[in-house]
Amino acid sequence: MNKRILIVDDSFYMRTMLKNMLTDAGYEVVGEAANGAQAVEMATSTSPDLITLDVILPDNTGLDVLKSLRQVQPTAKVVMCSAVGQEVIVNEAIENGALAYIVKPFSEEKVLEIVGAALQNDAEQTA
Amino acid sequence: MKTRDQEYREMFMAEALEYYDSMSRHLSELERNPSAGPALNELFRLMHNLKANARAMGFTDLGEMAHHLETLFGLIRDQQRTFSGALTRVVFAGVDAMGAMIRAIGANQPLPDAQALIENLDRLVRGEEPVFEEDEVAETDEEAGKKMELSDLVYIQVKKLDNLLNLVGELVIDRDRIMTLAQELDNPALLATAQHLFRISDDLQYSVMDARLVGVGVLLNKFPRVVRDVASAEDKEVELILSGQDVQIDRNILQIITDALLHLVRNAVSHGLETKAQRQQAGKPLVGHLTLSAMTERDDVLIQVRDDGRGIDTEAVRRKAVERGLTTANIAATLDEQAVWAFLFEPGFSMASKITDISGRGVGLDVVKLALDSLGGQLRVESELGAGTTFTLVLPTSIAVKGALLIEVEERPYAVPLMHTDTVLALQPEQISVVGGVLLTHFQGQPVPLVPLQLLLNDEGDEPLPLATRNDVQGAQQVLVVNYNNRRLGLVVDRFIRQQNIVIKPLSKPLDTIDLFGGVTLLGSGQVCLVLDVPALTRLFITKRP
Repeated sequence: MNKRILIVDDSFYMRTMLKNMLTDAGYEVVGEAANGAQAVEMATSTSPDLITLDVILPDNTGLDVLKSLRQVQPTAKVVMCSAVGQEVIVNEAIENGALAYIVKPFSEEKVLEIVGAALQNDAEQTA
Repeated sequence: MKTRDQEYREMFMAEALEYYDSMSRHLSELERNPSAGPALNELFRLMHNLKANARAMGFTDLGEMAHHLETLFGLIRDQQRTFSGALTRVVFAGVDAMGAMIRAIGANQPLPDAQALIENLDRLVRGEEPVFEEDEVAETDEEAGKKMELSDLVYIQVKKLDNLLNLVGELVIDRDRIMTLAQELDNPALLATAQHLFRISDDLQYSVMDARLVGVGVLLNKFPRVVRDVASAEDKEVELILSGQDVQIDRNILQIITDALLHLVRNAVSHGLETKAQRQQAGKPLVGHLTLSAMTERDDVLIQVRDDGRGIDTEAVRRKAVERGLTTANIAATLDEQAVWAFLFEPGFSMASKITDISGRGVGLDVVKLALDSLGGQLRVESELGAGTTFTLVLPTSIAVKGALLIEVEERPYAVPLMHTDTVLALQPEQISVVGGVLLTHFQGQPVPLVPLQLLLNDEGDEPLPLATRNDVQGAQQVLVVNYNNRRLGLVVDRFIRQQNIVIKPLSKPLDTIDLFGGVTLLGSGQVCLVLDVPALTRLFITKRP
């Protein structure tokens, strides 16, 4: 089956671009969340294989959201998304269970490479 | 035609203007209360987003300005700088400069130079005092006023448009009712008002329908990747040709057919097109061709999936249908190509001899058929052995209003969507024969079975329909020939009322379990009229024919 992905980003433009890249590549985008509360709710209801998570979100910091997501959906792989300048938070995110990060602005190749690798990691762990 | 880049650009602009407005609002708040935490966080987030989006779009200067402001706001947030004095002035100038850049992008003009500002922001980040040029004065109010601008683009949830469409549906029904009343009362003033209402609500209806239209391209443009993946998994070379991306269709219709189209395309690559070796042997070019095209035909939108592959082996389908017990060998032998191909759309019918990763997992063309049935659409197939296959999806442009033929049976009106009607015939008894208990006529050289509609509507239990005899045919018969899945069926009705555009409403419980009806509509007279579901009627006739 196609891997199922939840996109969390507060920018509609970013979400759309990510969604297009991922669906073009054959992934199923099961939801788009614009804030932390939506993200946790959607992660619970859609049980995605992978979550792309923006570092800076309106109602919460991405880091707090990451911790909640790890609790409600521990099997989902989390890939952080961030523009340069937020390396400190990203590093902390990796320590808190995020698998990788994508630096904005991103190219389609880079996104697919990182998402593919994170999901590959999933296959290895469950194999 | 709207390309994806154009769509990205519009989205970027709409969001950038929104960010700019929010920044201005939060800055004013911060000016009144320099320690307002939420406003600071929000400003930081907006700068960050604008930076990321601008860089993704390639607007480097705007990204740079946002980056510098973001860095400065990071320091303010961490209480290493305070929002006061010269810093305030530079920040306001910076946000204004970003506003000017965004507007320049919207107007396709070169971005204004902001080097001096960037340098001042750098100074502030380093903890130095900003340097102002002598002639740099605060903007006058007049100038600031000129720059107020809202985005031309509004994003609306489809749900809201659905709601609007439902309301228009209700309005149209009442409008028809008022029109009828006005005619009955014969009051000129009322009639004139009713006619005006009629025109306005017509305009309204088309405007709402128009707002829901999107280019078919938003779906078709997803296919190059799909085709490439399937082709490489099957070691085939496929050239995909897209056309008609700008043909407009209702967004929900496009959503409903997404899976169907995906299935047809995967099917065409993995089953329709031959392997390179097979193509070479057949003297065909090694590269297979797949065409995905959209076009408008009258009120319908056609989407075609055409391949130049092996074509449908009609005899193999005929054998398989008999094997599967879908028909008898005797009947199968008499069926023409179209009738045989119709078996491909039966649930679970698959011609795949081996199961590949891509297709042939028991999900057959029936899925495609079901999606089209739910829309009141049609699926056509054309094929030539060795030359290729074309599937055509015939779709309504809009789901709201459908052309329908109103008929009467047992003094009740029923509506039949025009999408499924072929023709109406007035048949004399001598034009009708009885074969094996079934009434039969010939239309365009083809035998068409006839059945009184009231028999199907009153049918209950599992018994087959009663055998027809010559005595059933007294006088001229009014026949509506319907077409579903390339099968024609003549429905004998009492009379034809008229053709009319109807707004179909779903049936409420418990009637929604009766699958012969696709919904209900209200006639101008206020009379309730059931909408017949032609696919369901055809299926009922096939299972119950004597």
